[in-house]
Amino acid sequence: MFERFTKDARAVVLGAVDHAERLHAETVEEQHVLLALLDREASRASFALMSLGLAERKESVEQALAEARRRGGLSRADADALSGLGIDVSEIVSRVEEAHGEGALRAGGTGAGRGRSWWSGLVGGHRPFAQGAKDLLTESLRMALAQRDRYIGDEHLLLALAARPGVAAEVLADHGVTYASLRRVLYGGGEAKAG
Amino acid sequence: MTEATDLAERAGDRDPRIGLRAVSALRRLLEQLEAVQVRSARNQGWSWQEIAAELGVSRQAVHKKYGRQ
Repeated sequence: MFERFTKDARAVVLGAVDHAERLHAETVEEQHVLLALLDREASRASFALMSLGLAERKESVEQALAEARRRGGLSRADADALSGLGIDVSEIVSRVEEAHGEGALRAGGTGAGRGRSWWSGLVGGHRPFAQGAKDLLTESLRMALAQRDRYIGDEHLLLALAARPGVAAEVLADHGVTYASLRRVLYGGGEAKAG
Repeated sequence: MTEATDLAERAGDRDPRIGLRAVSALRRLLEQLEAVQVRSARNQGWSWQEIAAELGVSRQAVHKKYGRQ
């Protein structure tokens, strides 16, 4: 399967592993894939992000992801939903940090994937991919198939990221990058057909 | 606040999407809080048995979930 990954797509997957290591995350998650996508230059995904104005807002994206990590991986929409129940997530975060140190809630990594999968040859690391990140790779294949592309490029990873609900897609949407806007800049005109 | 907007807001509160999202977020928050507390207990020298008793689960369940960390 991974032989279909382009050089850029492989670089993104490897970059995601690096980001997970740098952030001391136990598993490789979708947010790490997004960070790796932001690092790319002169790839199809980076052109798409550039034309949506994300190049100058890279730091803002990184900051939003850092805030979500501090909330234990909850997105802002999650926090809003909880506040509807009378639960103040930022209050909980600050109490926990008071008692257990800064960043204590930072995702301890649940739902770690076990076992080797088709991409373990690609990344060859010991850090497992979280279920969400595994699903993302599968979804990127679906994005490529839907487009009748014979390869999986970093643009398919980006599309899959934007199409899947979660912190990464939410942060992207807050910065004007959605599945629909990506399809527009990548494939022009036409309405977005679901993958 | 007018009656109409008040009504609209209360109707919004019954949107299952918001409620379900809150439950799912709460579950994830709970997992993180549990991990923080288990780590803290282990650092303070608690046994798996003691932690399990406080959490109301079996020792095996706690050890399986956190044992390798």
